[in-house]
Amino acid sequence: MINSFKKALQISHVSKRYGTGTTEVTAVHDVSLSVSLGEIVLIMGPSGSGKTTLLSMLGALLKPTEGTIQLNGTTISALAENRLPDIRLKQFGFIFQDFNLLSALTALENVAIVSELAGAKSGEARRKAASLLTELGLGERLNFLPEKLSGGEKQRVAIARALVNNPTLILADEPTANLDSKIGHEIMRLLRGIAKEQGRSVVIVSHDQRIKDIADRVLWLEDGEFKETVTMAMDPVCGMSVERENAVCLEWEGENYYFCAKGCRDEFMSDPRKFIIVIS
Amino acid sequence: MIRLAFRNLFQNKIRLVISTGGVALALLLILALDAIFTGVEQRITAYIDYSGADIWVSQSDVFNMHMASSSLPDSVARKVKSVPGVASVSPIFYITNNVIAGDERNLAYIIGLPEKAKLGVPWNVTSGFSMPGEGEAVMDRGVAENSGIALGDKVEILGEEFEVVGLSEGTASMVNSVAFISQEDFESRRGSYDTISFLLVKVLEGEAPEAVADSIESRVRDVTAQTRVQFAGQERQVVRDMSTDLITIMNLIGFLIGLAVMALTVYTSTLSRRQEYGMLKALGARNSDLYLTVLTQAILSVSLGFFFGWAITWLLTVLIPFIGLSLTMVMNPVSLIKVGAVSIVLAAISAMIPIRQVAGLDPAMVFRGT
Repeated sequence: MINSFKKALQISHVSKRYGTGTTEVTAVHDVSLSVSLGEIVLIMGPSGSGKTTLLSMLGALLKPTEGTIQLNGTTISALAENRLPDIRLKQFGFIFQDFNLLSALTALENVAIVSELAGAKSGEARRKAASLLTELGLGERLNFLPEKLSGGEKQRVAIARALVNNPTLILADEPTANLDSKIGHEIMRLLRGIAKEQGRSVVIVSHDQRIKDIADRVLWLEDGEFKETVTMAMDPVCGMSVERENAVCLEWEGENYYFCAKGCRDEFMSDPRKFIIVIS
Repeated sequence: MIRLAFRNLFQNKIRLVISTGGVALALLLILALDAIFTGVEQRITAYIDYSGADIWVSQSDVFNMHMASSSLPDSVARKVKSVPGVASVSPIFYITNNVIAGDERNLAYIIGLPEKAKLGVPWNVTSGFSMPGEGEAVMDRGVAENSGIALGDKVEILGEEFEVVGLSEGTASMVNSVAFISQEDFESRRGSYDTISFLLVKVLEGEAPEAVADSIESRVRDVTAQTRVQFAGQERQVVRDMSTDLITIMNLIGFLIGLAVMALTVYTSTLSRRQEYGMLKALGARNSDLYLTVLTQAILSVSLGFFFGWAITWLLTVLIPFIGLSLTMVMNPVSLIKVGAVSIVLAAISAMIPIRQVAGLDPAMVFRGT
């Protein structure tokens, strides 16, 4: 398990206002956030709360009116517009609700084209794409058009596309919204793997409560501001995702462990090493 | 991105057929018209090309046959024959008139031939005789067939009835045909016995026709002497001058139809993929990458249209002789280059509006609806 605390993304006092004078609307107001490598942050909130605007700013698709956004130490909010496509291509991986695959291209080509845009030669891009898709269980679907793929397969292609340029940060917009619960769970597991095994930061915007299970932190955005932050932890015994503030806590060998109930805590205490081995 | 353009183009077969079909038809209009006029040019100079003469001598300042009249005193033949480098001379008598068969009136170059003429005679007679005697005519086979005329039938030329004794090939164009009668009949119908129309000259072996033509002009007064190639070129130029406006208008119509079809299909195709282009921009594709895709798509469409337009025109050039039309279509490389250039301009212009559309896409659109 990778557990680095190095900050990948830092946003400081970011605001975004649209219009001027009497028509001015503040979509995001004085938001600050840090995301570490290997961390999964889930942003939730009602419609119109500013999630889209925040996500667009995080993805270097929209410039903040105030504040700074840093990715790997580079202040991307201050970069000239013509430098942003390259940053988006190489530093970000995007996953969308509607998959947004190119309908005329095969699964392999959908992934390879993003690598080619980043400068890879066609053969190299196709090799990387094939390898990623195979890892994601789509080895038999490389030459299928999106219309021949199921929703889960499409989203796995989109995940491969997001990963192909080895980005630092994955931004996922409602990644499970169009999937049934089984496939949605599979996608969540993949996202968790991307963060924990590959050490990438993952920011997810979603209404799907199930994603809380894989998130390290859940942020509630309302009226353009973070109203509540919930830090999540995994019960090492039953694997359930629990809110640290409301969980049963136990300190053991200098580390805090969180449990859904006393029963799990007691089971843990009977043989802690058994559960730590399991999670590591 | 070129692969994307290719795949985008071939994904929607109906749109592909409409766009390439529309462009093909528009370019066909230009190509076919060019082929028709090239055919006309070739056929209209066929008599000159196959005359066997190296030099055509005409009345001073008369440079061609079509819509022109040349009159030379018959003494010119002797003067020209004495010019160094000249091997032989042969006069012909020429007027533009009709060959009338029943109700059919066919415009024709009427050529009067001396009895033992070696130059300017029918060069490909497929049935009957090649040299008309008194009261006889040799006419084009296609024109004869279309008018229901066979060997031995009568036609009216210059107000007199002639018996058709020979049918020749390659002597008709969309504009007119060539009919041959004897010198005696020609002179008697014209009422003129001491003038000729043109003098056809054969030069001695090893002599350059250009030099001999210059020599004729300098030694014989009031004549124009041109090599066969120059004379045919002048003839073609007259046809070109007469048809330039028509060709220009038809080319413009073809161009505008092609442009409209292409612009509409490239525009709607781009519009339908607006979300995909926006997504690519969000992922990091530059505008130039997307322009390349749109432009490639337009160029591919137009290239396919050009290919099909060319193929249909070629097919027409092959098929038309078999359906009995006196029309000859000949494709020429200059026309292909011209239409190729027109196609590139078509593609570039038709891609401009969609390119502006792509340039204005906001990549953040991919997250809207969250």
